[in-house]
Amino acid sequence: MSGNKVPIGPFHPLLEEAEYFELTVDGETVVDIDLEIGWMHRGHEYISEMSTFTQSIYLVERICGICSTSHPLACVHAVEDIDNIEIPERGRYIRTLVGELERIHSHLLWLGLAGHFIGYDTVWMWAWKYREPILQMMEIISGNRNHYGIMRVGGVSRDVELSKIVELHKHLDMVEKKMVMIAKIANDDPVLKKRLKGVGVLTKEDARNYCATGPTSRASGVRGDIRIDDPSDAYDLVDFKEIVLPNGDCYDKLVVRVLEILESIKICRQVLNKLEVIKGSFWNKVENIGVGEGCGRYEAPRGEVFHYIRSDGTNRPIRHKVRAPSYVNIPTYEASCKGISISDALITLAAVDPCYCCTERSMKIKEVNNKKVPNLMDLSRGKTEKLRREING
Amino acid sequence: MDKLNKFIEDMGDKITNKIDKKRRFYFNVKNEDLRDVVDVLWNEIGCRLSTATGMEMEDALEILYHFSDDETGQYYCPRLVIEDKEKPEANSIALIIKGAEWIEREIFDCWGVNFIDHPRMEKLLLLNHPDKLDKTMRMEGAK
Repeated sequence: MSGNKVPIGPFHPLLEEAEYFELTVDGETVVDIDLEIGWMHRGHEYISEMSTFTQSIYLVERICGICSTSHPLACVHAVEDIDNIEIPERGRYIRTLVGELERIHSHLLWLGLAGHFIGYDTVWMWAWKYREPILQMMEIISGNRNHYGIMRVGGVSRDVELSKIVELHKHLDMVEKKMVMIAKIANDDPVLKKRLKGVGVLTKEDARNYCATGPTSRASGVRGDIRIDDPSDAYDLVDFKEIVLPNGDCYDKLVVRVLEILESIKICRQVLNKLEVIKGSFWNKVENIGVGEGCGRYEAPRGEVFHYIRSDGTNRPIRHKVRAPSYVNIPTYEASCKGISISDALITLAAVDPCYCCTERSMKIKEVNNKKVPNLMDLSRGKTEKLRREING
Repeated sequence: MDKLNKFIEDMGDKITNKIDKKRRFYFNVKNEDLRDVVDVLWNEIGCRLSTATGMEMEDALEILYHFSDDETGQYYCPRLVIEDKEKPEANSIALIIKGAEWIEREIFDCWGVNFIDHPRMEKLLLLNHPDKLDKTMRMEGAK
């Protein structure tokens, strides 16, 4: 297709991960996008097939630093699915608590980055500031701020002591107060609305055709949340709402995540209350895994994470398949990016929360006629500033 | 009659080797019936395609599709067994489900299965690999 090509990626010192997007632009309008993945070869599935079931759980925890509960949780669900292994009630609640805390910190991380991309650096700093107590809660529960090492087949590897629950409640109260404030900002700010509403729309039909999942599809009016549809752990024992919004634009993707944080806080509070009264073991010892196959899934912050494990009765899987949510969400760019302005490309790419860090990737600032050519970040933030001036006079 | 039982009845002989576990239904399907079965799962039951798993067994290659019915939490897992390991082929379902494009390209990349009628049958994970890799991840004798 004719037009100027704007490469984004694949390698840049600032990037956590490597991906390559090639935007074809006509003037300021994106008319086509080509996606290429496969810039990293980590071999997790292969290594897992050479590891024991227990080792695999710690291995998949390292697939992603942000989803470091979702992958092991889906993995243990898959192993438990082979033999229909039952989990003690206390273990189920602890799994749910850690999973929801991860959702809060992941959504806050995204919120901060999204704010940064559109020139709301205060949102960035606040979101990351309020993410800190969540990481501290993780440290109280597991001893680690990341890679908690808490999932194991048959339950969890450590208990949440009663003496710590008061402290966890305090952290949660503080985060909730701030989240209510951020939700109000998202609802009231005219610049934010004008900047994000109608931008990067993923229609309901496209969300279904691309098999999108998580907040990406729920913001397009497609319902589906593994916590409700295929409940595991304590999700059928707690009360919470599935957040579905109709428009599929960047604004709805933001609101879905903010409201999901509030729902997650609600779940955490219920779980902490239960942990104060439920006694008993948090783990059932599992000696052997039989012959068979199992599907495990969990609603990660970005959507459904899926693990398939086949066992031949030995202590290691003969096949371990992993599918992260970004794998099905990233192709939706083909639908959501076409027709948008180049200044909206950055936030549209980021709205999927595709597990990459930020910014312009391999874009270089070139000088043309002694003038600097703006990069994607400048364009995105510039548009917000222009709207702000228009609205505020 | 619930959705699962209706599906089993409607599909008749097209599905075999049925295993019904708690909310997971595994069954075998032949290549010529694959698109019919997928069409029912996608259009009539309203499933979402989670992914597909490629596997190499001693005497065959397997593709296990994972369709999720999000209304009921039921997983439908059609299994396609490809006995011709020298020239493995399968009908592409990307014509029915756009989201299957990358999934099939990955299986082509890793296991060498050629998906008939796929709109862009080329490597996905190894597309930009610096080495010219002409072998798949399969065991000895891989083409």
